[in-house]
Amino acid sequence: MRYDKADVSRELEKIPWFKEIERKHLQRISDISHLRHVRAGEILFREGDQEDYLYIVIEGRVALDIFIPHRGKIRIFTAEPWDLFGWSSVIPNIYQRTAGAVAVVDGLVVGIDSAKLREACDADHDLGYLVMRRLSNIVASRLLVTRLQLIDMFASPEDKNAK
Amino acid sequence: MPNERIPDMGSTITIEKPVFNLLLSRLKEEGYLPIGPRVKNETLVYDEIESIDDLPQGYSTKQKPGNFRLVHEKHSRFFDIIPGAQSWKQFLFPSHTELFAMRKNGKSWEISSQPMEPPKYAFIGVRACELAAIQIQDGIFMREDFTDPHYRARRIHAFVISVNCTQPAGTCFCTSMGTGPRVKEEFDVNLTELDDVFVLTIGSEVARRLLAGIPFDDASGYILSNVERKLEHAEHQMTRKLDSSDLPNLIIDHLDHPYWLEIGKRCLSCTNCTQVCPTCFCWDTQDEMSLDGKTTRRNRLWDSCFNPGYSHQAGGNTRPTIYSRYRQWLSHKLGTWKEQFGTLGCVGCGRCITWCPAEIDITEEIAALRNEVNR
Amino acid sequence: MTMLATEIVRTHADLLLEPHWAEIKSIIPEAADIATYWIRFVDSDEQEAFRFEPGQFNMLYLPGFGESAISISSDPQDHEKIGHTVRFVGNVTRAVSRLKVGDIVSLRGPFGSHWPMKEMEGKDVFIACGGIGLPPLRPALYHIIQNRDKYGKVTLLYGARTSGDLMFPKEYEDWRKAGIDVEVTVDRGDANWNGRVGVVPMWFYQFRIDPHKTTILTCGPEIMIRFVIFEAMARRVPLDRIYVSLERNMKCGQGSCGHCQLGPYFICKEGPVFRFDELQSFFNVEEF
Ligand SMILES: Cc1cc2nc3c(=O)[nH]c(=O)nc-3n(C[C@H](O)[C@H](O)[C@H](O)COP(=O)(O)OP(=O)(O)OC[C@H]3O[C@@H](n4cnc5c(N)ncnc54)[C@H](O)[C@@H]3O)c2cc1C
Ligand code: SF4
Ligand code: SF4
Ligand code: FES
Repeated sequence: MRYDKADVSRELEKIPWFKEIERKHLQRISDISHLRHVRAGEILFREGDQEDYLYIVIEGRVALDIFIPHRGKIRIFTAEPWDLFGWSSVIPNIYQRTAGAVAVVDGLVVGIDSAKLREACDADHDLGYLVMRRLSNIVASRLLVTRLQLIDMFASPEDKNAK
Repeated sequence: MPNERIPDMGSTITIEKPVFNLLLSRLKEEGYLPIGPRVKNETLVYDEIESIDDLPQGYSTKQKPGNFRLVHEKHSRFFDIIPGAQSWKQFLFPSHTELFAMRKNGKSWEISSQPMEPPKYAFIGVRACELAAIQIQDGIFMREDFTDPHYRARRIHAFVISVNCTQPAGTCFCTSMGTGPRVKEEFDVNLTELDDVFVLTIGSEVARRLLAGIPFDDASGYILSNVERKLEHAEHQMTRKLDSSDLPNLIIDHLDHPYWLEIGKRCLSCTNCTQVCPTCFCWDTQDEMSLDGKTTRRNRLWDSCFNPGYSHQAGGNTRPTIYSRYRQWLSHKLGTWKEQFGTLGCVGCGRCITWCPAEIDITEEIAALRNEVNR
Repeated sequence: MTMLATEIVRTHADLLLEPHWAEIKSIIPEAADIATYWIRFVDSDEQEAFRFEPGQFNMLYLPGFGESAISISSDPQDHEKIGHTVRFVGNVTRAVSRLKVGDIVSLRGPFGSHWPMKEMEGKDVFIACGGIGLPPLRPALYHIIQNRDKYGKVTLLYGARTSGDLMFPKEYEDWRKAGIDVEVTVDRGDANWNGRVGVVPMWFYQFRIDPHKTTILTCGPEIMIRFVIFEAMARRVPLDRIYVSLERNMKCGQGSCGHCQLGPYFICKEGPVFRFDELQSFFNVEEF
């Protein structure tokens, strides 16, 4: 299935955050975005891949995983509708994917070209500010999740499984 | 000369000191077990009293933070001592109680022994602060919604001969807590010791009955004013103060004040203060199973919020540090107790000060916390 | 003063901590080191008379080992048996883990406060819980399901460490069919886990909570509860519509042994379920 630009902006407009930004900025972002259907089990990117897109889930669920030798893949986070993933691709000095992404169920995602988004942000600092503010929100919430996972809140002091 | 009169309820009488023995015999005839202060193993304890000779005549106690001395001063008074580590709590709420024993019966268990009927106690020489402590524990163990059968069985028959303090110790501060040194109510007999007589006030019908036939005189105005003077003197002598005007809020509003950490550095978490405190009521349970697994005893023991095991639960220890345990103790005693039971949990008896090996002084810590908070 | 002459408060029970014998009828393993015990009082009159409110607990006693507070995890309308979901962590619960069907234990209870089932009628209910925090909420779910039309939107957001640690997974479908939005998340997933991965407090943003008509019920590790409350407050849910269930060491269940105190409260009596506005000033004090 192929999507045109109008489909992309229509999908983006549904997302609360995009409702709050100016029309021209929404336009600028949807110009560099595409819609992509994903099937259950489809890998969007692997750890170590070159960074290319920042994604937003429209439908479905995408899991981020890390491969641990001898233990296999561990899912560390899932992105649900309107969640964003692959944020590190927008950060200028990270060049490789730090985790893999796999669609857990059939779904639809928006991919935003990271290099072009960065250029757009450089060219228009108002847009850049909005994007970076949004990203810092995402990073803060990921950090909280990571902390709560790290402290292993379900462990009892005696727990053999406590990591 | 036997006196056929029975003293009136609420009246104040005098008896010759040796006559006290008659009262003790009457108590025993009525099935009471008289308990009072006596010197044993070179220290002051509460134990069975056979006659007035068992009382610590001639003794006084010298108390200061971390220090208790029993001294024989060769005076002739029986009740000049101020109590030591022990309190009446050990009789009403013993440090170790067997609740019941059980025997295995197939897969189930049957109760093989029930609690023994406790003695009918007669407490002799209950200080004003101690009486206040008993009242506090009454409110804890005999509430509307829950009555502890063991406490109740010991408490309801207990006959109380209280004593007005005329020689407070260095660690006493009952005037600050409004509990003493003067006994006001809730006694069967209240006693003030003068040099040659005991002055008794009759507080219950049971007491009237017991005193029937015991020789007494009505207290003269001279005697009554003498008692009054002694009590005023005792009040003036008590220099230790705890300002409770801003309690419990001083504590409850400053639970996260860094001063708690400071106290925590000195506290050894030894539990002494909670064991000697006449109002502390926390307890633990213990099962004692026989090696063959066929019988078991269920016991209740004193616990203390200073014990590390006190606050363990599945998620870990709620209070792993000493400062947090000290804060629990003090914030309960002089803070949250008020909301729970309507009064503060301290009666100003000074035991926790005397028996703290680190010389931590509850009156000084409250003053210091107040200073820090207001700085 | 002797109390013979004065009014005597009636004795609550003649034996303090008197055991009430009950038989284990079945044992359902739930996860590693966790199982549900279905229990019936040996005395059928006692069983018949036993009633509890969602959120209350019993003191489960094993002669020779001791007693532990365990929430009731079964349907309050089921008068035939009582369910207790036990995590084997210490002295008593590990002894429980060795029991078999037909063995005898003692239950005292029910004790404590309960979830505000009445107050929530006509409102949305958002249940955020983690780990062994679900069992004390299951009776509330059953109650809601039996009285579904009395409640608005009902969401269960439940988290556990891994998918193997989830309680009662077989029931989620039934709950969904009964009109409850069941959302499950794990801290760590493996390649077979197709659900959410993340932590309970963080998922809040995904659910549109109407702060004017939602009541939040939360139970689980205290650290999770803390963050759930942050999130609820960030969504402007008033504090008097957030309810939490807390755990402390307990020896009596009757407000007597002192162990369960949190500030002025005896958690066994005034709790374990608290309205958060009553708890706030003590809940955030470290090690209190
Ligand atoms: C209201 C309420 C409801 C509850 N509901 C449930 C429920 O539904 N299911 C459930 O499984 N649990 C429940 N609990 C928790 C349960 O009561 C505790 O897990 C309880 O501690 C278990 O008792 P235990 O004897 O097995 O463990 P304990 O022996 O008490 O051990 C608990 C933890 O403390 C540690 N510990 C104990 N004593 C010491 C010590 N002296 N020094 C160092 N560490 C120590 C142990 O190692 C262990 O980690 C509930 C608790 C409350 C208060
Ligand atoms: S806190 Fe100290 S002074 Fe107060 S009643 Fe207890 S032992 Fe006595
Ligand atoms: S909590 Fe501490 S201060 Fe309070 S009654 Fe128990 S032992 Fe005493
Ligand atoms: S469990 Fe004993 S007071 Fe709460």
